[in-house]
Amino acid sequence: MADEFPFEISPMFEGERVRKDDMYVELAGPKSKGFELVSAVDIDEMEDGKFTLIGPDISDMEEGGRYPLAMIYRIAGELVEPDLEAIVERRNHDFQNYIQGVMHLNQRYDVWLRINKDSIAKGLNSFEDIAKATMMLFRNELPFIEKIDATYITDIEKVEDELAKAMERYAARDERTRNLHDEDVDTFYGCSLCQSFAPTSVCVITPDRIALCGAINWFDGRAAAKVDPEGPQFPIEKGELLDEIGGEYSGVNEVAQKLSGDEYNRIKIHSFFEFPHTSCGCFEVVGFYMPEVDGIGWVDRDYTGMAPNGLAFSTMAGQTGGGKQVIGFLGVGINYFRSPKFIQADGGWNRVVWMPKFLKDKVLADIPADIVDKVATEEDAQDLDTLKEFLKEKDHPVVKNWGADEEEEEDEESTGTSTAMPVFGMPDPAMLQNIPPMIGGGGGIKITLKNAKVSIDKIILSSKK
Amino acid sequence: MVIKKGKFTIEGLENVQINIGKVISSDEEKEEPQGPTPAPDIHELRDWDMRLLKRYEPVYSPICDLCCYCTYGKCDLTGNKEGACGINQEAHQAREAMLRTLTGAAAHAGHGRHLLNHLIERFGADHPIDVGPSNIKAPVTQTVLGIKPETIGDFVPVLDYVEEQITQLLATTHIGQEGSAIDFESKALHAGMVDHVGMEVSDIIQISCLDMPKSQADAPLVDVGMGIIDSTKPVLLCIGHNVAAVTYIMDYMEEHDLFDKIELAAICCTAHDMTRVNPKAKVVGSLSKQLKYIRSGIPDLIIVDEQCIRADMMRETSKLHIPVIATNDKVMYGLPDRSNDDIDDIINDLASGDQPGVLLFDYDKVGELAPKLVMKMAPIRKEKGITALPSDEEFKKLASSCTQCGACVIGCPQGLEIDKAMEAAVEGDLTLFEELHDKCIGCGRCEFECPKDIPILNVIEKAAQKVIREEKGKVRTGRGQVGDPEIREEGVNLVMGTTPGIIAIIGCPNYPDGSRDVYEIAEEMLQRSYIVVTSGCSAMDIGMFKDDEGKTLYERYGGSFLKGNLLNTGSCVSNAHITATTIKVAAIFARRDISGNFEEIADYVMNRIGAVGLAWGGFTQKALSIGTGCNRLGIPVVLGPHGPKYRRAYTGKPYDKDKWNLLDARDGSVHNVEPAPEHLLISAENKAELMPLLAKLCFRPGDNNLGRMIKLTHYIELSEKYLGVLPDDWHIYVRSEADLPLAKREKLLKVLEEEHGWKIDWEKKKILEGPARKVDVSFQPTNVPRLCKGASE
Repeated sequence: MADEFPFEISPMFEGERVRKDDMYVELAGPKSKGFELVSAVDIDEMEDGKFTLIGPDISDMEEGGRYPLAMIYRIAGELVEPDLEAIVERRNHDFQNYIQGVMHLNQRYDVWLRINKDSIAKGLNSFEDIAKATMMLFRNELPFIEKIDATYITDIEKVEDELAKAMERYAARDERTRNLHDEDVDTFYGCSLCQSFAPTSVCVITPDRIALCGAINWFDGRAAAKVDPEGPQFPIEKGELLDEIGGEYSGVNEVAQKLSGDEYNRIKIHSFFEFPHTSCGCFEVVGFYMPEVDGIGWVDRDYTGMAPNGLAFSTMAGQTGGGKQVIGFLGVGINYFRSPKFIQADGGWNRVVWMPKFLKDKVLADIPADIVDKVATEEDAQDLDTLKEFLKEKDHPVVKNWGADEEEEEDEESTGTSTAMPVFGMPDPAMLQNIPPMIGGGGGIKITLKNAKVSIDKIILSSKK
Repeated sequence: MVIKKGKFTIEGLENVQINIGKVISSDEEKEEPQGPTPAPDIHELRDWDMRLLKRYEPVYSPICDLCCYCTYGKCDLTGNKEGACGINQEAHQAREAMLRTLTGAAAHAGHGRHLLNHLIERFGADHPIDVGPSNIKAPVTQTVLGIKPETIGDFVPVLDYVEEQITQLLATTHIGQEGSAIDFESKALHAGMVDHVGMEVSDIIQISCLDMPKSQADAPLVDVGMGIIDSTKPVLLCIGHNVAAVTYIMDYMEEHDLFDKIELAAICCTAHDMTRVNPKAKVVGSLSKQLKYIRSGIPDLIIVDEQCIRADMMRETSKLHIPVIATNDKVMYGLPDRSNDDIDDIINDLASGDQPGVLLFDYDKVGELAPKLVMKMAPIRKEKGITALPSDEEFKKLASSCTQCGACVIGCPQGLEIDKAMEAAVEGDLTLFEELHDKCIGCGRCEFECPKDIPILNVIEKAAQKVIREEKGKVRTGRGQVGDPEIREEGVNLVMGTTPGIIAIIGCPNYPDGSRDVYEIAEEMLQRSYIVVTSGCSAMDIGMFKDDEGKTLYERYGGSFLKGNLLNTGSCVSNAHITATTIKVAAIFARRDISGNFEEIADYVMNRIGAVGLAWGGFTQKALSIGTGCNRLGIPVVLGPHGPKYRRAYTGKPYDKDKWNLLDARDGSVHNVEPAPEHLLISAENKAELMPLLAKLCFRPGDNNLGRMIKLTHYIELSEKYLGVLPDDWHIYVRSEADLPLAKREKLLKVLEEEHGWKIDWEKKKILEGPARKVDVSFQPTNVPRLCKGASE
C-alpha cells in the first residue's frame, strides 16, 4: 500500500490546498494547458499497468515552475464500455486529491494541479508514482477495469495535439448524454443507498431522471451496477411501457412493489400527481401544488423566505420524504429541471407558476422560451393574490384552466379547486391556509355548544372596589 | 353565586366570551400521530434502558467506598458488605452516578425555569418560538413529550414535566427506596433524557426572545482569550450561565453608547450567550480562567448569575476590592438583598467597600447600575494600584522559597509538576511555567497544600504573562439549532459515506493535557471530513489556537451542518440541539413520527447515525447529565481520563457474541452483527487512545458500503497514526471487500487471508468466506421487537 509510494494516500488529504508559497510546481491550470481523459479500448490493445511519460518528469522541473500536463488513461475489460469513460474520468479528481501534497482542481480540459514542496522533499520525483497510485485506486474501486495504462504528457506541443483530439471525444460524449433518453435504453437503475437512513426509499434513475439527491445519474448507476450487480445500485429491466407520458413501466412497478415491502406498487417517473416517485430526504428542491392557481411551485432549500402559499421550504419538505408517495408535494434534484421529460404527465413547464429567483436563474437556459417570463419569482409574487395577478397578466397557460367561475371560487374556497383536480383524492394544501389566526379574534363566528365540556384551568376572583 | 372547584352545569349561555389559546387544524393533528410514550414517567422507557444496559453493562469505579447518607452510617461497602439500610456497593455507586446526573439536569432545568418566568413576564406567554428555518422546532421536547410548542408559554407544561420527573427521581435517593443498581441506571438515563428537554427549553426561549442567531451557519466571529481585554478601560466581567440580567446591561450600554468606554467581557456560558445577543461583548474564556482572571485584578466589577461560579468568589474579590453583584437566587454568598434600594446608594456602598457585594434581582436596576458602577470603580482601583500578581522581585522571592516538597503536585488534579517549574524559575527559565499555565485548570487546590503558603496560582500567572498577552482567539457565536434544510443538504454526504461521522466536543476544561488537545482533536477530525459540533467551554478552547497563517479553526472551516464543518451550537444548554439533530435525521430521512416516540427514535439513532459525544474535560455534574442524555438516545460518549470519577461506564463486550444480536424490522429475523457502536460510555486515557476510538464509535450496523469503507479508513489510519499499529479488531467490521479502505485494499485482503484465515478470490479481489455477515443495504436493524413487521412484543 502506501509504503510503495513516497506519499500517503488518504481521503484525509482531499481538502488539502497547495498555496503559492508551498508550491513546488504547478501543472496545467488557467495559465497553461492540460486535460484528463479516460478511453475504453480493446483488452488486447494494451499492457496492464504500463506508464508512459512524454516530456520532462517532475525531477526535471524547476521549483516554482508552471508546466502543461495531459493525463490519458486507457481502460479495458469485459464489462468496460465507452459509456463508462466519464464516470471513471471524474474519479481522477478525487483520487489525486487523496495523495498527500497533490492538489487537483476541476475536470476535463480545465484541470489544474499543484504539488507542494513537502512531498518533493519526501521523495516524490516522478509522475510515475502519481499515475500508479491513481491507477491502483481506479482498479480497487472499479474492479470491472481489468487492464489500465496511463500516459502523461508534459510536452506542450504534444499536449496541444492530444487536447484537440480529446475535445472531440468530450463533444461526442456530451452529444451522447444529451441525446440519450428513457426510450433509448432497456435498462434503468435503482438506487437503495439511502436505505441506510431512509429504510423504504428507492430511487429510479433513468437517462431523463437523475437521482433526486443530484449525485447519481444513469451512467453512474450503470457503472456501480457493473461493479456489483447485487449492490445498492442495480439494473431494472424497463419491461412493458404502460404510460408513455407519465413514464410508467411494468419492470419499474415490480421493483417498486418489492423494494417498498408492498407499500406501493406503481411509480410514474415523470408525474407529479399520479403515483409520483418517492423521496428520501435529501432532495434539493420541493415542488408543491397550489390549487388556488392550479399550478405547481418549486422551492429550493437555500430559499429561506415563504412561498406564495405562505409556507417555507422546510414546512413543505416536511410533508414528503421517508420513501413514501405523497401527492401534492414532490422532491427532485435540480438537474431534473433540465430533463426534457420534466413532469411531462402534468404539463411540464406549462404547469410551473413560481420558483425562487435564485433557482430560476440557475435553470434559466432550460426553461422553454415561451414560458420563461411567465414563471413568477418572489420579486413578482409574494402571496396567492399577487401570484394570481401576475399569472393573469402574463397569460400563463394555467390561467385557461381557471374557468369562468373564478370569481365565485374566491368566495367559496372549499370547492374552489375542483376544475383541474386529478381524479384521486388530494390532500388540499389550501387547508393549511384556512387555519384561523392564532388568537381568537372572534369576528363574526357563530358557535353552537352541544354536549360541550368547558374546562377552565383557574378562575381568579377579585373583589370589586 | 359561589364558585367552587369541581363540576357545575350551565343551563344557558348568553353573551359569552370563550378564549381559545390555540387552534390546530385537524389535518395537522393527523400528521403527528402520538407515539406510545408521551411524557414518560420513570418506568415507561425502562424496557428500552434494559435493552441498552444488557448490551452495555455498567462498570463501577467507586472513588469513595463509603455511604454517608444517614446516621446509621457511615457504612463501609467494600468486600461485598452491605450498608445498614441494606444497600450494596453496586447500587450505591449507581445511586451516586444518578444523583450527579440529576444534579446536572436540575441545574439546566432550574436555569430554564428562571429564564422562562423572566421571559414570559418580559415578552408575554404568547411570544412565538422562532428557531430559524425549521419545521421541527423543538425536536427533543416533541420526542419526549409529544408536544409541538408554538409559543414560549407552551413550554410551561414542558418544564412542569421536567420538574416533576426530577422530584420523583430525587425521591428515590432517600433511604429505603430503590435497591437495584440496574434500576438506578435506568433512572440515571431518565434524568439524562429530561435534562435534554430542560436544556432545549432554555435555549429555544432565549433564541426566540433575545434575538440570538437562529440556525445561522455564519453567525459572527467574536474575540476570545485573556489577552483580548483592554484593561485601560473599565472592565465589567460577567460569570455564569444565565444571560437574563446581563441583557439589561447590554441594552443600557447600547442606549448610552458605552461599548467604546467599557470592556464588557464574560467567562463561561454567559459569555457565549452575551455574544449571541450582542457580538460586541467579549469572551475571556472557559471556566478554568475564572480564578486566574479574578486574580489578575483586571475586572473592576463582577456580575454573577448561576452554575459553575466559584464558591470562594467573595474572599477573592474582596481582597482585590472588586464589587460583586449577584443576580440569581442560586448564588447569594450571604450578601444583602438591595433590590429595593436606590441605585446611587448601592453604588456608594460598593464603591467605598462598605459592602463587598450585593444581591440585585431587579434587572432594570442591574442594567443601569453595573455600567455606572464599573466606571466609578476603575479609577478608584487604579489609584490604589490593586493587583494580585506579584512584582518581579516578589516573584523571585516566592519561587526561591519553594522547597520542592511536592505537596502541590499531589494536590493538583492534573498532577502538574509545579515544583520543577519553581526550580527552573529561580534560574530565570519561565518556559515550564508557560507550558503549565495552559494545562492548569485554575482550581487553586495547590495553594492549600503549600506548607510555605506560596500563592502558587499567582506565581503561575505572573510567570506566564507573556503567553497570556498572546491569548487571543476567535470563536463563532452560538448558532442555535441545525436547520431542517441543512439536514437535507448533508443527507447526500451521510449516505454516500463522504461524511464519516459526527463528533460532538462538549463539556468542561478539565483536560488531561491542556486545552490544545481539543483544538488538535477538532482539527484532525475536520481534516477527515467529520462534522465537528461543539458548545460551552470546549467551543471556546477550540478557538484559542491558530495555524501558520494565524487562522483559528472557526475561520478555516464553515459553520454549517455539512461534512468538514465546525459548528458551535452555543452555551451548555445549546447541547440539546446536538441530540435534536439526530432526531431530525430520523424525522426527515426515515419520516419517523417523533411525537412521544422516544424508544423508536433512539433505536434509529443508535443503529444508523454515526454520532459520538466527547467530554474530554468533563468534570461538572452537568457534563455527566448531558452525556447520559446522549446515551439514552443511543449516542455513545467518550470521557477523558477523569471520567471514571463519575463512578461508572457503560461498556460493551465485543467478544460476547450473544450481546450483539439485532432484529431485521422487515421480518423480525435475528442477526448477529459486529459490535457497533462498541461502547455507550467509556473513558480514554490519552489522546492517542482517543483518536481511533472516536472513529470506531462511529460504526453503525446500518452503514452501507460507502459509509463503512470511509469509517474503516479513518479508524485504521488513526490507529496507525496515533498508536503505530493496525487495530486488532478492524477485520470484524468488514462485511465485504467493498468495506475495505480503497488505498489499502490489496494489503488488507492479504492480512485477512494470512492472519484471519479468510478465503479470497484473488482474480476478482473478492472475499469468498470470512465475514460474520453480508452487507444488505435494505437491512433494517432494530433492537425493539415491536418495531418489526408482523411482530408483537
